[in-house]
Amino acid sequence: MTGLDEQTGPAPARSPQPAGPANGPVPVRDNEYFVRLAFAESPRQGFEALFRLYYQALCSHALRFVYTREVAEDIVGEVFYQLWKTGSYASVQHTYRTYLYAAVRHRAHNYLRDELTGTRTPASLDALDDTGQTETPQTLIEYDETFQRVEQVIHALPPQCQRVFLMSRFENRKNQEIADELGLALKTVEAHMARALQQLRRVFLSAGLLLAAWLY
Amino acid sequence: MEDIITKEVLFDYFSGRVSPLQKKSVETWLAEAGNREQYYQWLHEWELKHLQAGTNWQPAFDQLAQRVSLATSATPIRTPAGSVPVWERMSRGLGRVWAVAASVCVVVGLSGWLLRDQLLYRTEQTGFGEIKTLTLPDGSVVTLNANSSLRFPRVTFGPSIFGAGPRTVELTGEADFAVRHLPDHQRFVVQTPKGLVVTVLGTQFTVLSRERSTRVVLHSGRVALSLRQQQNRPSLTMRPGDLATLGPTGRLAIAPVRHPEALAAWKRHRFSFEQTSLREIADILHENYGLTVTIKDTQLASRTVSGSFPARDANEVLALVAELLQINYIRDNDRVLFTD
Repeated sequence: MTGLDEQTGPAPARSPQPAGPANGPVPVRDNEYFVRLAFAESPRQGFEALFRLYYQALCSHALRFVYTREVAEDIVGEVFYQLWKTGSYASVQHTYRTYLYAAVRHRAHNYLRDELTGTRTPASLDALDDTGQTETPQTLIEYDETFQRVEQVIHALPPQCQRVFLMSRFENRKNQEIADELGLALKTVEAHMARALQQLRRVFLSAGLLLAAWLY
Repeated sequence: MEDIITKEVLFDYFSGRVSPLQKKSVETWLAEAGNREQYYQWLHEWELKHLQAGTNWQPAFDQLAQRVSLATSATPIRTPAGSVPVWERMSRGLGRVWAVAASVCVVVGLSGWLLRDQLLYRTEQTGFGEIKTLTLPDGSVVTLNANSSLRFPRVTFGPSIFGAGPRTVELTGEADFAVRHLPDHQRFVVQTPKGLVVTVLGTQFTVLSRERSTRVVLHSGRVALSLRQQQNRPSLTMRPGDLATLGPTGRLAIAPVRHPEALAAWKRHRFSFEQTSLREIADILHENYGLTVTIKDTQLASRTVSGSFPARDANEVLALVAELLQINYIRDNDRVLFTD
């Protein structure tokens, strides 16, 4: 995490590597050749190939933000749906992978922000731009920091609180069910949930304030 | 500058294990053209190495394909309105508007009818070697054994305001039910393809409904059995510890068993055999893991195994059975041959 030795230490060890083929900065191996072949057959086959390649990883990545299976799958499904319905799959720049990841992260990040800051409007989900045109190095890093911070917060919750939170969000269980299974009072479960959400909210708020301060 | 950024550094960065300075150099690296593609390529590789949860792409894809085909077949709704006021257009071509409306109705109605099963029912399935526990909308818990499916209505399931009909599920394969007793004593009914109907109030029992046989084991509470083909006959009542079997001729037989819990041992990934012949084990392997089993001779096929054993997958069952009977087996993908 910190310390000068981290910066100076590993660097010499890595120096021989950039010569290797995997580390060349520009030539990205285009392993989407088969996807393009499938799209040439029919959109359906193209999308099937995309699902096979990316669906699971995309859901997993969205989960890092929203921590709810259904929401993560909805977000990924919606990105695919928009790409298919609008026919923009025919004009995707660069790789499908970049498009899909950028769109899923954008939506997942906004979903979490809206949920935690309580600013969700019906339009805010639909009006999303999936093309990732506005993506800058700063937003990429901001998104990475967001999911890492979410993980840290959940990691730092007291064990019982963490357990309740994961059962509620990830396993989509009702508070009463959790109370029954863990032998807790319903009030206790609710208190754990409130606490977990408050912690998450605080992290997001401080980041938002920092961002606002940086913008103005 | 870009020399510093390797796949390893980026993996560490995704895991939140880099120094602030390294992060800064990642940012600089990202600003260079072409590196964004590389970034996502590595992000994808990193994500595949650290998956948060398993998901199945196939059902999600089928759902999406359906949604898209629905949306495109209903596009007549979006005929461009232009700048002409709607009322003027309507008076000009009322007939055409009606035609469009009618065709939209037909399209929507037809696709609704074609999808009515998807809309009205939810189906839970397990693949070969997979065991799944699910909670129904009414709070009852069902554990599905491998290669089984359970279908139940989406909406009209669970405590009803109207005190209406029973909670009905359809089962193919094998499942263990822990039925929740509702305040209004609403009945819970399991239907099987062979016509056996199990009616319950609140209890725990295991139903097997496969090609080879149909049977019910009652662990606690009371259930009533009836056959769909013989609705006028009085139903049979089971007591805890009873095993009911539907014979090939369509006759129901009920008898107590010594270890009823053994028949639900699969829930804990255990196999419980009681004088079970190799022939029956071959059937179980076929039902649960999709294996096609051949046994060299009939004498071998009738040798039996007893006891309860843990086994997580097909290979463990095969090794176990071979060990117990001191026989050999050869597995070639989905085909298995037992030899003496």
